[in-house]
Amino acid sequence: MNQFLAASSRAFRWSSAVASSRAARRVPRGGMPSVIVLAAGAIIVLNYGLLYTGSVFVLSACYAIVTAGMAVQIGFSQQIAFSQSVFFGVGAYGVALLNTHAHMSVLLAGVVMVVAAALVALLLGSVVTRASGLALAVATLMLPLIAVGYVSGTDLLGGPVGLPLNGTLWPASGSTTLIALGGGLIVVVVLAAVVFIATRILSSDIGLELFVLGVDERTAAALGVRTPRRKLELFVLGCVCAALGGVVYVGTQQFVPETVVDPTTELALLIMLFIGGRRSPIGAVIGALVIQYLQGASNWVSVNILIVEGVLLTVVLLVDPEGISGIVATGIAWLRRKSGAARVSAALGPAELTGAELTGAELTGAELTGAELTGEGQPAAAAGTVREAPDAIAGLPLSSVLPDSTLAGTAGGARDATLLEVRGVFKEYGGLSVLHDVSLALPGRGLFALCGPNGAGKSTLLNVIGGSVAPSSGEVVFAGSDITRRPPHERFYLGISRTFQAVHLIKGRTVLDNVAVACLASHTASIVTRIGRSQLDAARAKAARTLADLGMAHLADREVSSLTLEMQRMVELARALAPGPRLLLLDEPASGLSEEQRQRLAALLVTLAERTCVLLVEHDLALVAQVSERIFVLSGGHLVFDGGPADFRSSPVVNSLLVGS
Amino acid sequence: MKFGNLLIAGITTGSIYAMFAVCVSVWYRVSNILNLAVGDFAMVGALGVDNLYRVKGLPLPVAILTTLVVVAVFAYLYDQVVLRIAQDGRRPIEGIVITFFFTFALSFFIDGVAKVLFGTDVHAAPTLWGGPALTLGSLNFERSGLLVLACAVIIGGAFWLYIRFTLGGKALEASGENSVGARIVGIDTRQYRRLIFIGTAVIAAVFGIVESPITGFTYLSGATISLTGFLAAAYGGFRKPGRALVAGLFIGVLEAMLGGYVSAEYGDTVLYAILAAAILAWPRALGFESAVSG
Amino acid sequence: MSAAGGNRHGNPGESASESPGGTAEGTAGQRAAAGVALAVTGLSVAYGNVVAVHDATFAVAEGDACAITGPNGNGKSSILMGVTGMVRRRGTVEIFGAPAKNGDVKWAARHGLTLVPERRQLYPELSAADNIILGCYTWTRSIGKARRSDAYGRAVDLFPELKPHLKQAAGTLSGGEQQMVAIARGLAADPKILAVDEPCLGLAEAIAKRVYDVLAQIHDAGTTLIVVEEAPRRALTLCNRRVEVRNGMAGAA
Repeated sequence: MNQFLAASSRAFRWSSAVASSRAARRVPRGGMPSVIVLAAGAIIVLNYGLLYTGSVFVLSACYAIVTAGMAVQIGFSQQIAFSQSVFFGVGAYGVALLNTHAHMSVLLAGVVMVVAAALVALLLGSVVTRASGLALAVATLMLPLIAVGYVSGTDLLGGPVGLPLNGTLWPASGSTTLIALGGGLIVVVVLAAVVFIATRILSSDIGLELFVLGVDERTAAALGVRTPRRKLELFVLGCVCAALGGVVYVGTQQFVPETVVDPTTELALLIMLFIGGRRSPIGAVIGALVIQYLQGASNWVSVNILIVEGVLLTVVLLVDPEGISGIVATGIAWLRRKSGAARVSAALGPAELTGAELTGAELTGAELTGAELTGEGQPAAAAGTVREAPDAIAGLPLSSVLPDSTLAGTAGGARDATLLEVRGVFKEYGGLSVLHDVSLALPGRGLFALCGPNGAGKSTLLNVIGGSVAPSSGEVVFAGSDITRRPPHERFYLGISRTFQAVHLIKGRTVLDNVAVACLASHTASIVTRIGRSQLDAARAKAARTLADLGMAHLADREVSSLTLEMQRMVELARALAPGPRLLLLDEPASGLSEEQRQRLAALLVTLAERTCVLLVEHDLALVAQVSERIFVLSGGHLVFDGGPADFRSSPVVNSLLVGS
Repeated sequence: MKFGNLLIAGITTGSIYAMFAVCVSVWYRVSNILNLAVGDFAMVGALGVDNLYRVKGLPLPVAILTTLVVVAVFAYLYDQVVLRIAQDGRRPIEGIVITFFFTFALSFFIDGVAKVLFGTDVHAAPTLWGGPALTLGSLNFERSGLLVLACAVIIGGAFWLYIRFTLGGKALEASGENSVGARIVGIDTRQYRRLIFIGTAVIAAVFGIVESPITGFTYLSGATISLTGFLAAAYGGFRKPGRALVAGLFIGVLEAMLGGYVSAEYGDTVLYAILAAAILAWPRALGFESAVSG
Repeated sequence: MSAAGGNRHGNPGESASESPGGTAEGTAGQRAAAGVALAVTGLSVAYGNVVAVHDATFAVAEGDACAITGPNGNGKSSILMGVTGMVRRRGTVEIFGAPAKNGDVKWAARHGLTLVPERRQLYPELSAADNIILGCYTWTRSIGKARRSDAYGRAVDLFPELKPHLKQAAGTLSGGEQQMVAIARGLAADPKILAVDEPCLGLAEAIAKRVYDVLAQIHDAGTTLIVVEEAPRRALTLCNRRVEVRNGMAGAA
């Protein structure tokens, strides 16, 4: 034990020295965790490989390969699928069968099975990932159940007795020692590789894509993330890691028990993931280690493993939903704060994340019930500095505040050319007609407003234009091409950008990252490429420029939920502007803002309208009449008015509908 | 008549699934937590009564009462110790991924304790209504099955009446639909949550007691029951107990039919395959949120 | 920091809608104005590190209609949330002289203060009638008593245009109808003080006017009103007192 401690503390000190010295220069992205795994793993295998401790370590490492993949798929991107135990079985059983019946070496059989698993996962995934969220979870829940029924019924897989393996993972022959240690080292190398890949992906720009995907699929799609493709990639990644785990498992344990495809294995894997830290690959490794060591720790523990796991999981979740790695990360952050390095560092990646979600909350209203009054933590200066409003966008000049850079990407819409045409759009939900024969046309530049009473269909129309809702009939034509059936992410690429009625920012991330989500250039790249280079910095730089243009550069490192409503809306606007859109759809941007703030917003909108087409859904009729050059009024799904502000003010239809007698 | 008997058997098991599904669904509405431990409470009910009656020799009514009281107390404690911190603490934990796993851990814990207390063999609570099956023409009605159905109707009916016709019932509904709005009128949502959790546990235990003579339970049986309850509730989108009820019945009948007409061994496998395919084909119709697919 | 006294019509202490031949109950209730319905001293509300309301002090006399105005995001709603017990607070709140229990909505309701919250907060799948009758939950558990009570009857009669929609699920009603249901629910609690937060958020002008007409009706019947409004224009046609809130501090504008 002392040897172990000495060795590992040396390794840890070395690696932390490396880490901190390199911190001054650029740390190789995501390299550190896998180096630690490799170093520590090798040390343990070489010193203890023949002992009980070592064999438990190797077993844990087999599971950790699976859970590391689950950390990316389930923990980070919230794509809950229960397919891992089945593919673990595929890997294990496949190798055993190939080795026994086709006399293939274990290594070769392993490679074959991983490839086969990838193909099967691709096929299965393309069907299964059409579902989302709960539907995905419940559908994949069937997989272990179906697999169990099959496995226990067939003799090919050994039935209840299990399937033995004659070969070993270590390819050459030799003494038992060599085989055992060699096999263990191979497992460690594979694990380190998986951790490396996982960490690289999560800390890349696609990692940011996956994060948004996990928080809300719809927002992700509206920001250009190709949700179907990413979901499929994640599914395949999870399954391949599972198969890989199964391969090394059978290679080192020489046996496949019948319980491998059981739902209980799946549950055990999930427990390992959550205890260790659902979002971080290292956490997943820790979780696997903890559970496996527990099972062998003492007789009492292994007999009552269910009780122990139940209590452990409950306690860990209560202390920190991010599991052990969350606790460790909080501890590290606390230490850092104590030693003065205080900034929220966006570059550290997954381990630093706390439960992130969409902010739908404004400072008043539902989400704040039960809030405690805290004694400490109140800002020292009470009077007058309680709100951000004064320092935020100090005196935004009415004249053009945006130099060309922000909207440089804009096609600089032509005044007379029609940019957007909505033709005869109908939308029905059940028997209810929400949009009835709505047609309108917008040119490349200008500020236009969409008004109407609640329930008139304004948001639905915006959704139809933005692509999250398909019309029952009618067309949407953008820049000459019919985009009616195009998905939201494609419309994003075409230059349609939108904001939502409730603020949809990602809690737990900085303002900079929230804007950077819209600046990613990684949408068309495969997830695999991010093992290599990442363009996250380029995206962040572009986001920083947009923030600077809007006078918000000083907010870049602030965590999003600490901002006022006005600032949150500005961040959302910045996010919509960052990619330089040709058409900007704003859903009630002034809602919840005071008169002063509305005026500031109006000024900004007028400036924007000089370069791009802005369609505004708004209730504030004064604001609308003040800034728009044309106004559309919807009532009960019908377009009842289409004209300029002067006509708007005098129109009898409008007056009775909106203003009252 | 084979079809008729299969149908009866299907409705019997279906009503059990339905009850569990309703428990999961109602509690989710009020607390936003999925109770994956319902089946384990059922298992404890069955094995507890069996242990107290058969092994310890207590008279049957005492055994039943004691078991139910123990279950209720345990549920109360769990709510006080764990759920209170998880939900009402300074940092309320959110997200379906997390809320999924609390009762998941609870399920493990209960199974472990059951293993210690009751061993690993198959047991069952004693048959409460013994005797040969009742017949109506060529249809057979097992008495235990009838008892299950009766319980389902009584408990389900009582609950429905409570929801529809009392102010407390409406308050319960309200707290599930809008917790802020509920607080405005002085509804103590915490209390309702606690009540429902305990109620769910006790009802599950009752069903375990009534159902176990038909199938027999081990300490691991809870998991399968929880799973089916969860599944059936899923088809109602988790928030609609009415749909969960229908889904539970449907799954029960489908299972019986598949077992009877298709294959006794692989009936379940086919059932799960069908259920999976159904979710993928019509997620919206089955109450799942619409998938954003390309 | 004290509340701004007087009203736009130059008659302190009198409601703008008082009429000479009014009912004895109505005018007497208003003229008495001796009792203090709500006294708030040093109220502070914070959410985590963000202080929403800082040391607010004001009072509302019985029979008053008090408007709380000020820009959005400056603490108006938080004042109501703190006063009614929906969120925890510092400072003291006295309802008809009795010191309110911190964070206890039931207590406030039982002592006569009911809140109609911002954005309605109805129960979307329950019917409008059920939404309204749940207002009675503050004073009874018996549905029979609730249905037979005067409070419920008055609440339902308040908006005749709701009658055909009573059995409809509240979530399917229009914004204006929902606001009416919310106010009716508040009234079913038989309050002595009705606090209404942004009654006209997102409503068309015609409906907003109707809502204010009904609020005036409620006020005439003797209920003390507190209305939070961003746009003072509407509120001041009804109210005789005003508390201006800026940057979390209440007081003179």
